[in-house]
Amino acid sequence: MRAAVGRVLHAGVLASAVILLSGYLVSLVQDPAAFGSHAVEQAHLRARASFPHSLVAVWNGIGRGSGEAILVAGVLALILTPVAGLLTGAVAFARRRDWLFTAISATVLLVILGSILIGSLTP
Amino acid sequence: MDASSPVVRTIVLLGPVNLIEFSFVLLGVSVLAGMLGSLLGLGGGFVIVPVLTLVFHLDIRLAIGTSITAVAATSSAGAARNVAESITNLRVATFLALATTIGAVTGALLSGVFDARFLFALFGTVLGISGVQMLRRKRPSRGRNDPVRTLTAPVPALQAARVDKSTAESTGRNGDLADRLALHSAYYDVAQGVEVPYVVAHTGLGLALMYLAGTVSGLLGIGSGVLKVPAMDLAMHIPMKVSTATSNLLIGLTASASAVVYFARGDIDPLIAGPVALGVLVGATQGSKILVGIRAERLRVLFVIALGVIAVQMLWKGIA
Repeated sequence: MRAAVGRVLHAGVLASAVILLSGYLVSLVQDPAAFGSHAVEQAHLRARASFPHSLVAVWNGIGRGSGEAILVAGVLALILTPVAGLLTGAVAFARRRDWLFTAISATVLLVILGSILIGSLTP
Repeated sequence: MDASSPVVRTIVLLGPVNLIEFSFVLLGVSVLAGMLGSLLGLGGGFVIVPVLTLVFHLDIRLAIGTSITAVAATSSAGAARNVAESITNLRVATFLALATTIGAVTGALLSGVFDARFLFALFGTVLGISGVQMLRRKRPSRGRNDPVRTLTAPVPALQAARVDKSTAESTGRNGDLADRLALHSAYYDVAQGVEVPYVVAHTGLGLALMYLAGTVSGLLGIGSGVLKVPAMDLAMHIPMKVSTATSNLLIGLTASASAVVYFARGDIDPLIAGPVALGVLVGATQGSKILVGIRAERLRVLFVIALGVIAVQMLWKGIA
């Protein structure tokens, strides 16, 4: 169980790094002007900026092959790696028929998933 | 990002800088911040928020969103190694995550409500308190690697555990909760070469403290291991080594919970959070290897002074 959680966390970090790097590469190929010319874009570096920040927008962006959406997905993968570890723990608890801890893990998972909703609803 | 920021001006002076080059600047700065954080034992969040706000003039909420992403990444990488070494108590981590994640969401929501100046003042205050704590922690261990502490730590922990089991049996409740959840465990102490069993106490109190630690983490974008380790070590009588390893795993889950709120709000910019998270991760995990041979104790005093200056600057931004 410990080994499995460790492996998932390790794999999550590595995968996130790969997604981020490919996001940079795709952005560079796709829109060299936006990436290559201007100094530091004001609009980009402010809170509540123009990049996609809902799961649907990121998903659609990846479908279009948008480099920016891939970058966001990489950051999202980093954020959600601990959740993948939690999920691995939950499965291991369930396999041991430790229903109390399966339920506790599931509750924590619901709190985190619920907070995505809460976050997207707040202005 | 403010165009009048000294860093931006410096970059512009060096020639036309594009976003790729800007990412590399952030990456380099973050590696240093991660190294500094791990050397101080505070984590990257304490360093990266002041760097992004004071040096790069970033909006503080964006800086906090960036920092919490870096915290999640660093915790995952650290926990990946720790968990396999079987020191981490997975049951304790999972159970306490109930409180830290709800706290983290509370903190993340509060940060959206509070004024930016209040966030600066609060960050400066917490930073200052941590600096004072570090100075006090330094005194008892005069030795270089404090092996004395690792040798003696399990003994009082065991004694405390024994005492607590008897008090728990007489007073009931808390002991019952830890029993029912089967939180008690044992870990292999390398220095002593023995298996050290421990009994978890005051589960309810631990849960309450973890809620607070989670709130601070979500509000300021720090891992708040400074609060989580004492909650387990002092309040719940979990041995120091186990507390530290378990806290590392818990920090990641806590960071995830608040990070998704920041993300959904649009306060995590991929072009900043990506390079910063990777940089802090590399600095924090590889820093100890790179910095081998440096007398950390001597540097610590310097760092504490630097920390004090940063704390005052953050406070000043909150007041002025």
